[in-house]
Amino acid sequence: MKGIIVKSLITRRALATIAAVGLFATALAGCNRDGGASGSDSTADSKATGAKVVLAVSTMNNPFFVTLRDGAVAEAEAKGISLDVSDAQNDASTQSNQLANAQAIGAKAVIVNPVDSDAVVPAVQRLVSASIPIIAVDRGVTGVEVASFISSDNVAGGRQAAEALAKAMGEKGKVLILQGVPGTSASRERGQGFAEGIKAFSDIQVVGQQTANFDRTQGLNVTSNLMQAHPDVTGIFAENDEMALGAIQALGAKAGKDVMVFGFDGTPDAMEAIQDGRMVGSIAQEPAELGKLAVDQAVNAINGDPVDETVPVPVTTVTKDNVAEFLQ
Amino acid sequence: MTTVALENVSKSFGPVKVIEDVSFTVEPGTVHVLLGENGAGKSTLIKMIAGIHQPDTGRVLLNGEPVTLTDPRAAERHGIATIHQELNLVPSLSVAENVLLGRLPTKRGLIDSRAMRQQAQKALDRIGLKVRLDRRVGELGIAQQQLIEIAKALSIDASVLILDEPTAALSSTETDQLFEIMETLKERGVAMIFISHHLDELPRIGDNVSVLRDGKCVAVVPASTEEAELVRLMVGRSIEDQFPRRRGTLGETLLEVSDLNSAGTLSNISFSVRAGEVLGIAGLVGAGRSEVLRAIAGADSYDSGTVIVDGTKVPPGRIPRAIAAGLGLVPEDRKAQGLVLGATVAENIGLATLFRRARAGLADLRGQRESAQRISEQLRIQMHSVDQQVKNLSGGNQQKVVFGRWSLANSRVMLLDEPTRGVDVGAKVEIYQLINEVTENGGAVVMVSSELPEVLAMSDRIAVMSGGQITGELDASTATQDSVMTLAVKNVDDTSEETA
Amino acid sequence: MSSTTASTTGTTSTWDKVKHFLASNGALVGLVGLCILLFIATPVFLTGPNLLNVGIQAATVAIMAFGMTFVIVAAGIDLSVGSMAALAGMVSAYTFATSGWPGPIALIAGLLAGGLIGAVNGFANAYFRLPSFIATLAMLSIARGLTLVISQGLPLSTPESVNFLGSSLGPVPMPIVVMILAGAAAAFILRYTAIGRSMYAIGGNMEAARLAGIPVKKIQVTVFALSGLFSALAGMVLAGRLNTASPQAATGYELDAIAAVVIGGASLAGGVGKITGTVVGALLLAVIRNGLNILNVSSFWQQVVIGVVIAVAVGMDVMRRNEASH
Repeated sequence: MKGIIVKSLITRRALATIAAVGLFATALAGCNRDGGASGSDSTADSKATGAKVVLAVSTMNNPFFVTLRDGAVAEAEAKGISLDVSDAQNDASTQSNQLANAQAIGAKAVIVNPVDSDAVVPAVQRLVSASIPIIAVDRGVTGVEVASFISSDNVAGGRQAAEALAKAMGEKGKVLILQGVPGTSASRERGQGFAEGIKAFSDIQVVGQQTANFDRTQGLNVTSNLMQAHPDVTGIFAENDEMALGAIQALGAKAGKDVMVFGFDGTPDAMEAIQDGRMVGSIAQEPAELGKLAVDQAVNAINGDPVDETVPVPVTTVTKDNVAEFLQ
Repeated sequence: MTTVALENVSKSFGPVKVIEDVSFTVEPGTVHVLLGENGAGKSTLIKMIAGIHQPDTGRVLLNGEPVTLTDPRAAERHGIATIHQELNLVPSLSVAENVLLGRLPTKRGLIDSRAMRQQAQKALDRIGLKVRLDRRVGELGIAQQQLIEIAKALSIDASVLILDEPTAALSSTETDQLFEIMETLKERGVAMIFISHHLDELPRIGDNVSVLRDGKCVAVVPASTEEAELVRLMVGRSIEDQFPRRRGTLGETLLEVSDLNSAGTLSNISFSVRAGEVLGIAGLVGAGRSEVLRAIAGADSYDSGTVIVDGTKVPPGRIPRAIAAGLGLVPEDRKAQGLVLGATVAENIGLATLFRRARAGLADLRGQRESAQRISEQLRIQMHSVDQQVKNLSGGNQQKVVFGRWSLANSRVMLLDEPTRGVDVGAKVEIYQLINEVTENGGAVVMVSSELPEVLAMSDRIAVMSGGQITGELDASTATQDSVMTLAVKNVDDTSEETA
Repeated sequence: MSSTTASTTGTTSTWDKVKHFLASNGALVGLVGLCILLFIATPVFLTGPNLLNVGIQAATVAIMAFGMTFVIVAAGIDLSVGSMAALAGMVSAYTFATSGWPGPIALIAGLLAGGLIGAVNGFANAYFRLPSFIATLAMLSIARGLTLVISQGLPLSTPESVNFLGSSLGPVPMPIVVMILAGAAAAFILRYTAIGRSMYAIGGNMEAARLAGIPVKKIQVTVFALSGLFSALAGMVLAGRLNTASPQAATGYELDAIAAVVIGGASLAGGVGKITGTVVGALLLAVIRNGLNILNVSSFWQQVVIGVVIAVAVGMDVMRRNEASH
């Protein structure tokens, strides 16, 4: 039993390495080609043209990051830079090796989407001391001053959610909030934005806010409990879609009719629920936009142009009206 | 030099008067024995001198001066050291650390290991105990642990020493060793209070004996008083025979053990026991006596050899098979190995038959309880009811519960490991009666005991062990303590590990 | 010796009686007291729908805790119950959705998977001498990992047979029905079967049980297999309530299950414990969570309150043991 596990770990690690090496080789081949191409392309006058930039993604197993990469690749092509993409497969040590390689192959800037905001610190620090600009995307690097940090604007998302939910409720009534894991930045920022946004509607009253830890089962339990105390509630804001889906389960037939539920994240399950009317909406992040803006900041850094320390990426309100665009 | 005395002390726990108006005096250089059945109040009395309990009325006097001993440390400051019945050693610490526990010599806040070793060695030398100072106490046998406890008590230069059943776990050589130490302490003027259930030890070491019964002192007599008289004083009635063995006719062979070998513990053990017979196994602690019983009962596996019970071969290490063949083990340590202390009397008696009497996986709760009721009446177990937790019974009654389990399981061959350890005199006799009942009903008994008089009186034959081997078999009617001891120390080269 | 025994039975002052009653019925007293307090604080608490609510929410932890009661009575611990629950739900969802097995068969497959994983725990404990804490800690990770492997990290829809366990039959919520049936089965096993009775013996004194011929190892395997089976059942109820098997379902539930058993009067030292107590323990935890929600207590404070309740429960265990050793 133990033997098998060890063996499978080894094979997985080995496969990951092979995959990484393979990726690396293709990337090298790719940048050679790009280098040749950009040599003949004299229209771009910026220093960045043809420069090598590495994008270190945490995992490609999650569609969110695949879309983020696609956005970055498209922008890189448009700007005429060569972009090496590496996939850490959610392994912090693999990512740290990939960052070390970035320096070795002469990257002019590195875009990192950390597997772990803490574990990535030493590797990033080495790059910073080698004067290579770092752009962090989606997740930050703990305690290190990166050139730019690009992430979804959770506060704005919270405000947008408040407006959309208020509209669905007819701008009056009582609201419950399902909070995420206490103390996390996502929970804090989304909650803050929602609180700010809902203030504008004087006829809407927040009657309860309780944590359900971003978990669907707890969303179900906490909603059932809160509905006992506040049976006249007509709106629920959940700080992520999982909890919103739990709330819908608790409400049963009331969901979408008597009680409007609003989520956050834009997961496929949530999109389906919006489509069939059980949920009024969610806030979708725009991963492609994250990737695009990261490449833009990298180009600015290489050219010596001003770089924005933080770039909050707008998020999109998804309701029944526009859900089709997201349902592919 | 200190004279210690109790003057008209009484002590109650709630409404129960445990000690009532007891007085005695111990002069320097004498050994005062406290004698009484379990529950007579001996332990409570010495706890008053050791500072654990305070008398409700009456006084403790040291050299004629009344003292108040609020806690054990206060007693220690007055030079009173106690060796309790339960060992107070830390198994994971070394011998040296245990001897000096709580008084470890330090230098600049760190343990001064040189001074520690010197002081500990001195304490061990004083009682002539040869153990490596850095061995972990948990690795040592119970007897050696007891001696370390004594060394520990003596290392505070006590002028009053209390010994609560120190010989219960000791073999006779070790007891001899202890008595020698006590003799030298006597010469140095230490006043000693000694508790023992071994009546034969009293004239060897004691001077005066206070006999306690139900919390009262019924007599103070010289230690040379006849045993029968002491027993009469203790239990308040006379027991004609301390060892009431009733021998009957022998039947077919019930247990046949041949060539049992187990690396490091047993070699070439062979013997047989017939229906109606008691085979005693004598020997020193560590000679392999318990190991023989455990191997036969399936508790430990063995390398080679055969065990045949009533015609059925029992495979090694298979307790349920051994039980099914008719074996029943009454283990050495009834609290750790014999009983589920938190369970009821009925559950403990029914433990071996729980599965055998179950139907379709359902325990026969009512039948088991009725059987347990019947058996506890047969065995005269004193209790409120079979639903009482077994931990609230006295030692003798607890032991009867273990016997009862095998009686319910119809075991024909009983393997008894120190069956009367920690049991008072009255209850001992009842256990001997149970042994008689086993043999009279056509059963066979193998009994390991460290008490030679018990082995000699209760056995029909005696196998003597030393160093994992049987060094000889004696007929109990002609055997003497000397002939047994000669065999017990034979072949002693192989056991040098144990005594070194 | 017998003198000290006599003394404790003799001196039952009023305070001792109160202390004894609290020690042996503390959880029930706590539950009733808490319900009264909550009713005073908000009349909503003692309404029919809310009480059903509490029952539904207690059900998953209670069912898991029934299995845990076997383990703790036999002086073990099972940290893998939450992971086994998630795995069982996922096995049902996967065999139904991906392999196309009929719903009821998929349900049984999930339950068997739980029992099997539990038996592996028991085997490691009994035959490889791994302490149950270690064996089940490893399984906590292994079973969760297998769940992720099977599901590829995504939630899967569960078959109708599983959803039924989380739904309502008219006004009667199925989770409560399942909890009552599972509790009755567990109580029956503990009270009337030879295996159940020997769990107490093994937990009370394993060596004595072994020397009395109790097949200790086989029973240990059975105990952990039962724990796996009950966890799997809890996992089905959990998945059924959401119509979804989530790879992260029941994370951290082991602590709730252990807390429910200990609050219910079982001793972590083994040999003591009852299903009725475990039910009370699980209800107490659910009532606390429900009450804190209804009263809208800050989520930061909720963690403090739950922690205090567990500390009090363990404190009562210590108190009971002191009581017993006197």
